[in-house]
Amino acid sequence: MRPVARRDGLLIRELPGEVLVYDRERHRAHCLNQTAASVFRHADGTRTVADLALVLAPEAAPAAGASAVAMALDQLGEAGLLEDGPVTEGLSRRDVVRRVGIGAAFLLPAVASILAPTPAEAAATCATSCVGKPDATPCTCFSADPCTATCISDSCSDGGGC
Amino acid sequence: MSRAEGVAGAVCYTAPREESRVGSLPSLMPRLRQGPGGAGRIDRLGWKAGTCFDAYGLRVGVRTNAPVLLEQLEPHLPPGWRACASPLVDQVFSVWVDPGGTGAPRPSRVYAGRRRRARTPDLALAFAVLETEIRQSVAASAERRTFVHAGVVGWRGRAILVPGRSRSGKTTLVAELVKAGALYLSDEFAVLDGRGRVHPFAKPLSIRGPGGCDAHARAWRAEDLGGTIGTRPLPVGLVVLAEHRPGAAWRPERLSRGQAVLELLAHTVPARLRPESSLASLERAVAGATVLKGVRGEAADLAPELLRVLEELEPVSRRVAGGRGTR
Repeated sequence: MRPVARRDGLLIRELPGEVLVYDRERHRAHCLNQTAASVFRHADGTRTVADLALVLAPEAAPAAGASAVAMALDQLGEAGLLEDGPVTEGLSRRDVVRRVGIGAAFLLPAVASILAPTPAEAAATCATSCVGKPDATPCTCFSADPCTATCISDSCSDGGGC
Repeated sequence: MSRAEGVAGAVCYTAPREESRVGSLPSLMPRLRQGPGGAGRIDRLGWKAGTCFDAYGLRVGVRTNAPVLLEQLEPHLPPGWRACASPLVDQVFSVWVDPGGTGAPRPSRVYAGRRRRARTPDLALAFAVLETEIRQSVAASAERRTFVHAGVVGWRGRAILVPGRSRSGKTTLVAELVKAGALYLSDEFAVLDGRGRVHPFAKPLSIRGPGGCDAHARAWRAEDLGGTIGTRPLPVGLVVLAEHRPGAAWRPERLSRGQAVLELLAHTVPARLRPESSLASLERAVAGATVLKGVRGEAADLAPELLRVLEELEPVSRRVAGGRGTR
């Protein structure tokens, strides 16, 4: 298996010890720690998991490095950052810790993700009009206590309508 | 006419005295400066008066069929607005009220471009909708600034950001920080520039009534809380991601720079519209900041602690007067 990381449609920013990736197609943003970032950078379709393990930590035991790479690929796949989606059997963090050993725990990959908000979601205060607002935005009923109402299908509703 | 600022091809001027004015606003019928068609049939509703202003580089026009309404407009404009003499704008908002006459009165209507945003007999509510729509439009469309939904105060020359959704306790914490002596910058948006500094967006604090009810919300000026409004952009010193839980002790974790950017992006208005510039501004904003995330108890207990934390983080050489007393 020679995994390929996605490159198209991504905005990639390098930070010290981390990489930020913004997916313009899915509007998801990801923060990759050093291990996940290294696998992401080097997964170009020419390297096997064993090759990636060597890139990751040449001095680590081959099995430990391969486990960390497998977990990174799993997380990158789940995040939509691989061309072919998830590529492994889904290793848990505990499995990988057991395989790499506590001493090599620094190898553990981590990918944190969020869905970027729409402008209306990010700016949402208590809406006075629900037109164009996402469902569940807190809103003010025109004729009742506004504190319990939310936007549903462009209308403000407190459960029984406003 | 004195030139004030160039904005993407249109120049914003301070209007001369002899021009027709409504309060501090010029009397001008706004027109969209780009794009065909305008607001469609809304354009034909008999608009009789209008005005134009600039907010954070976005040019906005408001028009109405009742010229007297323009006299009530000024308190509803976003902080930092400046009057413009050109009628060419990026966005047009419209307020229509029943001109009177025969038959039952018809509800007032508020439009953002061609979209109707409110239809209500309550004129005060119509103005509230207009105010919110203009503010959110500026937050999304002002291309030279990145608006993050967050409260902001200043302390010893650096800013504390409190990002969060509506009803997350931002304003409560900001109010307590102001009472504790911090400068007030915003209870709604952290306005970041390309260098990552945060600019004031100092509308009055909107503090909800008992039970968090909007119906009893009251607008408080910083001065009402014994505070002062900050007027200059500040670098970010501390970002506080705090979820309120009664009785909880504040034992935050410290986030990495990448994690911090991700957390702030979740509250960034133009995140999807301009991800590249948003990420760049957020990165610069957190580059010199400490970012703490945790569960907090009461805001009044946490506020002095946050000021102390920021002081301890800050090199002595960078301590500059930022507010009253020794700030």
